[in-house]
Amino acid sequence: MSNPSETLIRIIDLHKSYYDGESELPVLQGIDLEIKTSELLAVVGASGVGKSTLLHIMGTLDRPTAGQVIYGEQDVFTLQDTELARFRNKEVGFVFQFHHLLPEFNALENVAMAALITTPSNKTIYEEAASLLEYVGLAERLSHYPSQLSGGERQRVAIARALINKPKVVLADEPTGNLDRRNSEAVHELLWDFNAKSGQTFVIVTHNSELAEQVDRVVQLVDGKVVL
Amino acid sequence: MKFEWFVASRYLRSRRKQSFISIISIISIGGVALGVATIILVIAVLDGVEHGLKDRFLSNEAHVALSIFDHSFFKGYQERIERIEAIENVVAASPVIFAQIGVFREHSNTIQDAIYIKGIDTAQEDEVTGFSTFVIGSTDFQNSELIEQAALINEGETITGGIILGGRLATRLGVMKGDVLRLLIKLVESPIDSSMLLPDLANFVVIGFYESEMEAYDNNFGFIHIDTAQKLYNQQNRVNFIFVRLTDAELAPQLATKIEAAADFTVLEGMPNARTWMEAQAALFSALQLEKIATVIIEALIILVASFNIASTLIMTVMEKTKDVGTLRTLGSSRGNIMRIFMIQGSVIGTLGTMIGTALGLSLCWLLRTNTQRPSYWYIIALVVPIVLQFLIASQHAMRNRGGWKFAVGVLWLIGIGFALYCAVRPISLVDLGLSQIYQMHQLPIKINWVFVIFINLLSFAICWLATLYPAWQAANLKPVEALQHE
Ligand SMILES: Nc1ncnc2c1ncn2[C@@H]1O[C@H](COP(=O)(O)OP(=O)(O)OP(=O)(O)O)[C@@H](O)[C@H]1O
Ligand SMILES: [Mg+2]
Repeated sequence: MSNPSETLIRIIDLHKSYYDGESELPVLQGIDLEIKTSELLAVVGASGVGKSTLLHIMGTLDRPTAGQVIYGEQDVFTLQDTELARFRNKEVGFVFQFHHLLPEFNALENVAMAALITTPSNKTIYEEAASLLEYVGLAERLSHYPSQLSGGERQRVAIARALINKPKVVLADEPTGNLDRRNSEAVHELLWDFNAKSGQTFVIVTHNSELAEQVDRVVQLVDGKVVL
Repeated sequence: MKFEWFVASRYLRSRRKQSFISIISIISIGGVALGVATIILVIAVLDGVEHGLKDRFLSNEAHVALSIFDHSFFKGYQERIERIEAIENVVAASPVIFAQIGVFREHSNTIQDAIYIKGIDTAQEDEVTGFSTFVIGSTDFQNSELIEQAALINEGETITGGIILGGRLATRLGVMKGDVLRLLIKLVESPIDSSMLLPDLANFVVIGFYESEMEAYDNNFGFIHIDTAQKLYNQQNRVNFIFVRLTDAELAPQLATKIEAAADFTVLEGMPNARTWMEAQAALFSALQLEKIATVIIEALIILVASFNIASTLIMTVMEKTKDVGTLRTLGSSRGNIMRIFMIQGSVIGTLGTMIGTALGLSLCWLLRTNTQRPSYWYIIALVVPIVLQFLIASQHAMRNRGGWKFAVGVLWLIGIGFALYCAVRPISLVDLGLSQIYQMHQLPIKINWVFVIFINLLSFAICWLATLYPAWQAANLKPVEALQHE
């Protein structure tokens, strides 16, 4: 386990603008942020301020207009597509507001998917996936397809999926934004559990003030910048 | 590739997990299969017709006809024949006097008809054109009984020799075996009045009929002995043609120049001209060739259309799966992974389609050329079974959700359709269609050209593979974030 006080992610002067023809829409305007290993971080801010955009760039799904994202010593945007994909596969887990499960695959396969990308299918992967599903309380639902699961169950599968490759960081974009109160709490419990159990770093974008109170640190975005 | 196969194979199936393969995949596969099957079948028929016609045509035709350009007579032909027969791949050569001649109608003192006369040496001609096999009656030009009888009947007239007439020509002229035919050799000045021309006639006794079923011969030709012809034209020890047979008719163009060289005509004799059977029948066979090229182009277009089908299927899948592509990218699939997933899908469709098409095309070829007793009508029952089961499955919820049932019915469908094809597809009789006279064949001929079958397979694979490139590339280049947010 890595040193809890160690910096895992460093974001330096990050800019992101969207362009529509000639006109520029600046969204992120110089984000500086350090995230420590095992930290449980919440990102809050008004709708449209650029929380999702920041999370996507942190997760290397999108490239910034300017600035750097450094994991350990690695400036990730110097990597080629294949290396970046490999990096994302190994080091980053995603949970979205909408579950984004693959409808053609059952719960077990959905959870195993990220591992199967790089490793030929084997029993260990499926055992690992099954134990994760068991942990999120879906031991009875392994062979169910997403369409056969409830909203809360789907989101729990999505959390299990984000963790299969034991990533250093899990990026969650309003993971409970689509759930009722009871389901939201169950999901939150799970996130805290994993954070405590495995020491993984969690960055959670949320509008939920209750949740924001339970984290290590809250980062607020205003006008494309971080205010503390 | 394991991962890509894992995802691609799932995408080939339908949403409902019970189905082995989705309807849209089946349609795409069917499109390719149909294209490949028809191209194999149509080309086999065209090849069959061409081959059949060539066979028929070459059965009594020399492969090369050597002459001097103006068809003038030359001597020393036996030596020339020996030299020609020494050429590799030459089977035999035979001396021929070939001319047009008038048939004289006695009572009206006019020329009834113009026919071709071929003066031949029976033994040598048999080697080249199989002459005797087509003759009904005697081939003994000099000593046939019929000649003696005719000489007795037509007392006082000199009989020059026997003649074998094309069967249909004989009918046209209204002559029968043993009849005397008067041929007009040339016109001579009358000994009494030099301004008057008299016909110099030769009398021939019809000793047999030539029945090759080749219109050009049966309707226009008469055969006489070469010695007789030489006397008739006053060309002792000379002929004007040498006919040549080769081990393989297709070698004719290559060997023509060698044959011309072997003939070794002097400058005084004239320029040699070795005419191949292809040149003689250029119109017919180049038409067949053109037809084949046109067919290949049209059929290749069918495969192209089928490949568009694959491309559009894939583009639709890519659009439908855009969000999932985004998800796969967040899970750490590279562009290459995504590209391969969709290329595998397209390639499986292309490969299955090509294989099924080839199997279907070859089976149809086999059914069309195999004359066996096949059950009629009973095949309906073979189709009734899967139809009934299909209805049952559609109506019984319990059965619908059982993959095993669907698979079993799928197999029964295959058996039913296969059996129905076996019963229904039979050799096509050209006699029934009234075409046997024109094509000189009893049933629609089928000839499978394996090199072409392999070529079409490769072509189909290549076209289908190319069709996957763009959609797969499109999927690979979806921006992860945009793909994720795709509705
Ligand atoms: N692909 C895009 N093209 C153009 N503009 C975009 C694009 N994606 C996002 N934006 C704009 O960037 C801004 C930030 O969007 P983002 O989704 O990051 O906001 P957010 O903070 O996550 O909001 P919410 O809390 O509502 O999810 C918005 O104004 C949005 O309109
Ligand atoms: Mg957002």
